[in-house]
Amino acid sequence: MSGGASTQPRRLASGGAIDRSQPLEFRFDGRTYTGYAGDTLASALVANGVRLLGRSFKYHRPRGLLCAGPEEPNALVELRDGARREPNTRATVVELFGGLEAASQNRWPSLAFDVLAVNRWLGPVFAAGFYYKTFMWPAAFWERLYEPLIRRAAGLGRIATGPDPDGYEKSYAFCDLLVIGAGPAGLAAALTAGRAGLRVLLIDEDFLPGGRLNAERQLLDGRPAREWAAAAVAELGSLPSVRLMRRTTVVGCYDHGVYGALERVHDHRPAPPPFEPRQRLWRIACRHCVLASGAYERPLLFGDNDLPGVMLAGAVRTYANRFAALAGRRAVVFADNDEGAVTAADLVAAGADVVALVDPRTAPGATGVERIAGVVRRAIGGQGLRGVEILAADGSVRRIACDLLAMSGGWSPALQLTAHHGGRPRWDDRLGTFLPGTLPAGMMVAGAANGDFTTEAALAAGVRAALAAAAALGHAAAPVALPSVSPESVGHRPLWEVAGTRGKCFVDFQHDVAVTDIELAEREGYRAAEHMKRYTTLGMATDQGKTASLNGLAVLAARTGRSIAATGTTTFRPPVVPVAIGALAGTHRGRDFRPLRLTAAHAWAVEQGAIFMETGPWLRAQYFPRPGEPTWLESVTREVNATRQAVGVCDVSTLGKIDLQGPDACEFLERLYVNGWRTLAVGRARYGLMLREDGMVMDDGTVSRLGEHRYLITTTTANAVAVFQHMQWCHQVLWPGLDVQFVSVSDQWAQYSVAGPRARELLRAVVAAEHDLSNEAFPYMAAGTLRLRDDTVARLFRISFSGEHAYEIAVPARAGERVVRMLMAAGAPLGVTPYGLEALGAMRIEKGHVAGNELSGQTTAHDLGFGKMLSTKKDYIGAVLARRAALTDPDRPRLVGLAPVGRGDRFGAGAHLVRRGVEPVAAADEGYVTSAAFSPTLGHWIGLGLLRRGPERHGERVVAFDPLRGRRTELEVRDPVFVDPAGERLRV
Amino acid sequence: MSEGSNSVLIPGRTGRADGRAGLLVRECQGLALASLVARRGRVREAAEAARAAFGVALPLVARAAGNERVTFVWAGPGQWLVETSDARGDIEAFLAPALGSLAAICDQSDSRVVIELAGTAVRDVLAKGVPIDLHPRAFGVGDVALTAAHHVGLHLRQVSEEPRYRISVVRSYFGSFRHWLESSAAEFGCEVLAPLGAG
Amino acid sequence: MRIPCPHCGLRGHEEFAYLGDATLRRPDPAAPDAERAFAEYAYRRDNPAGRHRELWYHAQGCGTWLVVERDTLTHEIGRVTEAREQGGS
Ligand SMILES: [Zn+2]
Repeated sequence: MSGGASTQPRRLASGGAIDRSQPLEFRFDGRTYTGYAGDTLASALVANGVRLLGRSFKYHRPRGLLCAGPEEPNALVELRDGARREPNTRATVVELFGGLEAASQNRWPSLAFDVLAVNRWLGPVFAAGFYYKTFMWPAAFWERLYEPLIRRAAGLGRIATGPDPDGYEKSYAFCDLLVIGAGPAGLAAALTAGRAGLRVLLIDEDFLPGGRLNAERQLLDGRPAREWAAAAVAELGSLPSVRLMRRTTVVGCYDHGVYGALERVHDHRPAPPPFEPRQRLWRIACRHCVLASGAYERPLLFGDNDLPGVMLAGAVRTYANRFAALAGRRAVVFADNDEGAVTAADLVAAGADVVALVDPRTAPGATGVERIAGVVRRAIGGQGLRGVEILAADGSVRRIACDLLAMSGGWSPALQLTAHHGGRPRWDDRLGTFLPGTLPAGMMVAGAANGDFTTEAALAAGVRAALAAAAALGHAAAPVALPSVSPESVGHRPLWEVAGTRGKCFVDFQHDVAVTDIELAEREGYRAAEHMKRYTTLGMATDQGKTASLNGLAVLAARTGRSIAATGTTTFRPPVVPVAIGALAGTHRGRDFRPLRLTAAHAWAVEQGAIFMETGPWLRAQYFPRPGEPTWLESVTREVNATRQAVGVCDVSTLGKIDLQGPDACEFLERLYVNGWRTLAVGRARYGLMLREDGMVMDDGTVSRLGEHRYLITTTTANAVAVFQHMQWCHQVLWPGLDVQFVSVSDQWAQYSVAGPRARELLRAVVAAEHDLSNEAFPYMAAGTLRLRDDTVARLFRISFSGEHAYEIAVPARAGERVVRMLMAAGAPLGVTPYGLEALGAMRIEKGHVAGNELSGQTTAHDLGFGKMLSTKKDYIGAVLARRAALTDPDRPRLVGLAPVGRGDRFGAGAHLVRRGVEPVAAADEGYVTSAAFSPTLGHWIGLGLLRRGPERHGERVVAFDPLRGRRTELEVRDPVFVDPAGERLRV
Repeated sequence: MSEGSNSVLIPGRTGRADGRAGLLVRECQGLALASLVARRGRVREAAEAARAAFGVALPLVARAAGNERVTFVWAGPGQWLVETSDARGDIEAFLAPALGSLAAICDQSDSRVVIELAGTAVRDVLAKGVPIDLHPRAFGVGDVALTAAHHVGLHLRQVSEEPRYRISVVRSYFGSFRHWLESSAAEFGCEVLAPLGAG
Repeated sequence: MRIPCPHCGLRGHEEFAYLGDATLRRPDPAAPDAERAFAEYAYRRDNPAGRHRELWYHAQGCGTWLVVERDTLTHEIGRVTEAREQGGS
């Protein structure tokens, strides 16, 4: 049909807030149509006479539009195609754009001929609780049979499979007054507050602010209501402290004046322009909020009330008045309130033939329309409405042909946001609906959302709320002059249900929940509102039952003999409308999922061909492959050997570093660490171990005394932030009397380990000549400040993690890259090699040093062989509980070294240790391998582990059972120090 | 990051290319930084000592105070970040005569990257990650905030009315922060200017 | 939630780290029943429904440990003070 766009047969000749000078071509289910700028997809389809828009969730019943706004349960379509395909989009909120591609969903092979409509005849299978009853057993059938079957038969749209090509982002906003909804109440509130100079954020879901002012033929000050709305919007635009956000839905109300809102920035374009997001999620912090979210009209409950052509009366008026689109030519209006007459009059004005106004009450009719006291008992039709069956109050039954039934069961305030903090809506008997109950702090409700169902009352309520907010904030505000409103009539006597209906009588259109399902739930004992909801799934579809909830409660109330007030509502939770995961993630995706930390010499490591790995937030060099090394093992072996035989350089900048000063610094260390610090001299470093208060090991590291009252603490990379926070807690909460000051200097210093027998020679080449690095002047565990040959200030620590004669040299971060290049250049004649985390790990395991795998939060100092470090002369964090019998029990798993009996065997961390010849079951578990590595020095795999009574079992053989890797390896238990147990290399 | 230079921002335009860039960024080089933490109970004495020695008292609330020699930026109760281009290579020695007995002084010159942000869209850009109300009624010249954007800690202050903001970010996180900043500014255009105080 | 830090103003709870009961005091390690007292201190917590005094650390802000009076049912926040002001042990 390309080029042959249809002629919009249902478009009125004039009127509406559409731009007839801008025709837009779009496609629905492969056919091309034309609409106008200002249309929604729904209104354009109405104008084109398209009534059948989808198939229902369970029964595949034909469905058309029910609403004209965000509460639409039926008209869910797939938008766009390929990676941008978006399922379950409500056609009523899709702003039409040229080239829009939309498709109906949940039908196969086509919308008009749907094979699975056979589900309609399987109704009993899909009745309330069908998931629970039908697919209970056997469990194995779930994955293979039931789930795919259900997904095929009863599903919604298809999700796109490729990565979303569009961007999403988040933003913060702050205001004095947040006004949610730009209908009469919201506009009046925003004008009042804006003129008083409050910072106002006015948020509206629609692309055309005005709410029902755009949808009714009402007159304000004698002019069409839409013109008053437009003038108000124009004035708001001129007020500097007011911001109006269109196409934005407030989706959640959180604590302390925080609201979440989803802005559909470019959903109304085929794709966002370059550099712009498709959607933006706002976090809004406001001091006061006026909720002017309006109300949802309720359907009436009668047989086959879901036929395409049965629509809410307010929606019919919206299509006619705002979009100049006529939903039907021959209409019946069925209402239990005075808006039936308004609808009939609007339809007549739009040129429709209104054949009857059916109202169970004795109420005035509309000019020229036959008024029938009674009810519509049933809608008649196949793929769409062909007529209605009317049961008049006098008992007579009539069938009237029509292609549109406009129905109204009254309005329910859109009060979800009032209830997100647990506030329960309260029943109002006069209005026959729930009104907002206890409100979140700072929130006021105005307009239809609060039961002010006339425009006049809504405008006045908006002004009152804004004045109250201004007063609370200490702003002088004057009420704005409100327009006179043409006469309104909102009399209503809720009908709830039509008695004696025939056919299926739907309550929740999106989840296909009918009156009979609620009855079944009630019979089976699900009488509480929350139980009924879960058993029937009423209100649990993507529309969250906006049009269904109250009707469902009314049916349940009637069946249980309780009042609706006593039946109560179900719980409202954010989000109010569906929010795409992409919007929740914002820019936190791919490489931006979380920030990365890079060391000062990162560019150098990249140049060296390093393979990097993430350790916490850091990106660290894992190893440095050289040509001819097929796997990491060859690279790591070379790096270890070069270090142990000559010298290696490793970037250890990621260690946590804390500068501690103050007269009580030593006392503070005494209380933080298990070991003593009073004897640590200036210019010396010492290993320290920290416990948590429960007696478990928290972290380890070194402390160097830089001056009389100045120390440098290092922490492990992983615990840097936690240790700093712990120190803040100890200082501020436990011992505020101590005069200590500490700051993180982790980023101030780049730090490199220089390790190996030729380490001193290398340092000699870069350190200024006047410094004496001899063993006597700068022995093992010395620490000092010096200058390099290029005058860079450096700190040198003679400490070793590898077991080699080693130093760590720290330089200001900006000098880091330069200094590492200097070290490599000076070390070239000595055979210097950069080494990464893998070699570092292999060497520390060879040396029996514990690290993150052993400092697991479940190990004690005794477990790790540090029992003797625990001072008995002082109090420190963890001292008391570390002495508990259970924590020093020799039966606990304790640190051992592990080597394979078959020297060629490999084993890995995580393997469980069991006795030889014992079935490897949980009861036989005696510990596990914490770390394992290939030892280039020994030529076979080695490991550390925690083994019950380990230190007493050196020489024994155990089995490492590793079901994950499918290995079972016999190991010899031994001392954890594999290399240089006497520590001679450290001290040369 | 090129060898031999410590510049972390390369001048040039990213994002939307037409019109004036909505965000202007420049790195502040040549600054010496130090953290200053008052000894127990000596906050007011330290504040006065700073006034006597430098003509600027230490701010006791979340503000910055400075002159052409030195700026003290509040960094928590009893703590400040000192910025100066007058330290001659040793900011600890620069501060110690006046404040050494009243506060712990620690060189942080290398620990942070300091940048300045301006441009017509600067507030909109920052709003995409900075959870602070920067509206002129809420945050003005001299105001200071410690916070985080996109999980990266920030020390932020407003330095002039236009508005211009100065932000310091821990050096190892700066690359991620810069990426966030440039992405957030892309829709407005982002122009990195030549560094301030270079050479 | 937003927590009014006495130094930084109202900030989102994401900037804070939560520790819990602020009324606990570290026991005397030299007391004869120290082990029992420390075990209580380390492990036992009330879970009050209603007003509670809690320790929150302004991790992404000024680095202050705060005592926040919070209603665990409504999230209403009362007085917020510095933990160091309560004196420690
Ligand atoms: Zn704070």
